[in-house]
Amino acid sequence: MTAFVAILVDGYRELVAKKLFTLSMVLSLLVVAVIGIGGLNEQGVTIFGFTIEVPFINSTMFTPAEFYKLMFNSVGVTFWLGWLACLLALVSSAGMFPEMVSSGVVENMLSRPTERWRLYMYKFTAGLLFTAAQMGVFCLASFLVIGLRGGAWEPGLFLAIPLVTLLYSYLFAMSALLGTITRSAIAALLLTILFWGFLFTVNSAENLVNGFRIARVKECQAIESLMQKRQKENPQADISDLHSELEREQATLGNLQFWHRVVFVLKTALPKTDETTSLLQRWTVQASNMQDESGDDAEEVADNAPKQRRRGGPGFGNTRTKNSVVVAAIEADQRSRGVGWILGTSAVFEIMTLGLGCWLFSRRDF
Amino acid sequence: MQSQNNNVIVLEGLSKVYSGNTHALRDVALHVGAGEIFGLLGPNGAGKSTLVKVLLTVVKPTVARGTMLGQPIGDKKTLAQVGYLPEQHRLAPYLTARQAVEFVAALSGVDRSTRKKRAAELLDRVGLANWMDRRVNVFSKGMRQRAGLAAALVNNPKIVFLDEPTDGVDPVGRVEIRDLLIQMRREGRTVFLNSHLLGEAEQVCDRVAILVQGRVVKQGRMVDLQQEGSRQELTVRWTGAALTGNVRALPFRGMQIAPTVNPDGAHQYVFSDLDSSAAQPAIDAARAAGGDIISLLPIHQRLEELFMKIVVDPTTGKAPPPGAGS
Repeated sequence: MTAFVAILVDGYRELVAKKLFTLSMVLSLLVVAVIGIGGLNEQGVTIFGFTIEVPFINSTMFTPAEFYKLMFNSVGVTFWLGWLACLLALVSSAGMFPEMVSSGVVENMLSRPTERWRLYMYKFTAGLLFTAAQMGVFCLASFLVIGLRGGAWEPGLFLAIPLVTLLYSYLFAMSALLGTITRSAIAALLLTILFWGFLFTVNSAENLVNGFRIARVKECQAIESLMQKRQKENPQADISDLHSELEREQATLGNLQFWHRVVFVLKTALPKTDETTSLLQRWTVQASNMQDESGDDAEEVADNAPKQRRRGGPGFGNTRTKNSVVVAAIEADQRSRGVGWILGTSAVFEIMTLGLGCWLFSRRDF
Repeated sequence: MQSQNNNVIVLEGLSKVYSGNTHALRDVALHVGAGEIFGLLGPNGAGKSTLVKVLLTVVKPTVARGTMLGQPIGDKKTLAQVGYLPEQHRLAPYLTARQAVEFVAALSGVDRSTRKKRAAELLDRVGLANWMDRRVNVFSKGMRQRAGLAAALVNNPKIVFLDEPTDGVDPVGRVEIRDLLIQMRREGRTVFLNSHLLGEAEQVCDRVAILVQGRVVKQGRMVDLQQEGSRQELTVRWTGAALTGNVRALPFRGMQIAPTVNPDGAHQYVFSDLDSSAAQPAIDAARAAGGDIISLLPIHQRLEELFMKIVVDPTTGKAPPPGAGS
């Protein structure tokens, strides 16, 4: 326990000594300040008394509380916590493991009574302090801004602390492993960013293939429905064109299902950074009782009576189904993926990465 | 020779083979007695640091038969009673000397109040009383070495491993570190010293082992090793005329040094490099030849001489290449 606390305190001192830690803290507060200085009136968004006219964001559409929560989710969670803050945290902490295993330092660590795997895990936990502390500051500041400026006190915002720390931990586990192997902060950082890019690519590929797959399912359903409708109207009607179209769509669907399975298996094995952020948005929205904008789409699917409003999402080659229906079906599919799958499979990957790091650190000669 | 029971380190067979079939240590067997200063000597790449690292679990042994403080080599809990100053150690630059020493103490499981007290005491003892709250990144190499020594002692260890402790330290600092080693011995600690500096080792070590290409080629008490190759130096004084003939007739096997002539006309000869068996016959012969014995002094073999005899190949006159080879 003494060694654990010592390594935590040492990790904190190491991060504080690095200017990037302070910079990240300051930037976190700046992001909250940007959220906080904005306001709403009937025309749009106000900043320092100046009004920027925004048709869909004004006091007739949103209450102040909803506006600040929307800002927290879209700016704070999606851009800041999900990307930039994680990147800064990675940059700041990339040197922790290479420094620990460097000659002249590692001897002092290993020649102590603590087992190597424990040292590795203690150091890893110390690295997570960075994100947890930053999230804590960010959430507290956001909580105060939303409470004071929006009049809504939402403790649910603090869910961001464990969730973003978890998101960062997927990447930091990889950074720790790479830092232990390469003993280089720059190599560890670059390879981790490359890994993050790989996760993004796999996630995008899965989303894309899944989008086309769902669009094909919807198209097949639409064609079958049309065939039934035509035959009902006129049993002698020539529907051979629809038959061949259906066969084409089914053939494409078969291909897409195969490739989706391949990408989905790969994605299942990897940490899901994007879904974890989405989970955060979903939970903070639920926790703060904010209206979930995707609720309309769920109804569209359920009622099978899609509204005319297009979501503006990309088309998936669907000609017989509205884009909004396809997008809603995709969102419904994504939401059907449970928390257990998102966090559980990511945690399995992280545990395996940490296990590999501990094993390498434990058996290596220094 | 100390009994096995008094030994804090007993190695019966310790080997380390790195990948590529490189033998860093080959069946090393040695013992270190409690409360002594033990010197591990050897040329670069002989495996000295590797041996210490194996004992301290920094390097995994291929074979390790032996004990340290009564526990098998590699036992982690034993390390709570061991201090270590690694060669070219680095203290975290963002810590003050006090924080760095306290950090090492905490890693060894020393409780908060004890480590605070001991860190301050030890930093004072190594001459860093006025620097303990300054960050170590402003320290000179010698100051870092002193802080490292304080860190090595902060857990009140029974055995202290010091790998080149005087590396980068100025002459005054070296004397201070030497005094510190002697003080550690007085306190009952065992000091395991790795050093290239034979003169320093000779001054402080009770026992030494010489490691060459991963093998212990010589070990023993310093006194024994010095006596093993010791010689005697006999000084004889003659007065009178027919000295030269008498002296030349002496059955001395030692080297004869050119005589000096005293102001009173007496001739004084110094015979050096006499082995112990030749001393008494030489005295008798000198007396029989009318000489007065001025002195018979034992000349101990210097560690450097012994080291060179062992390390340097007599046929080539060169030391073995670094590394233990494959």
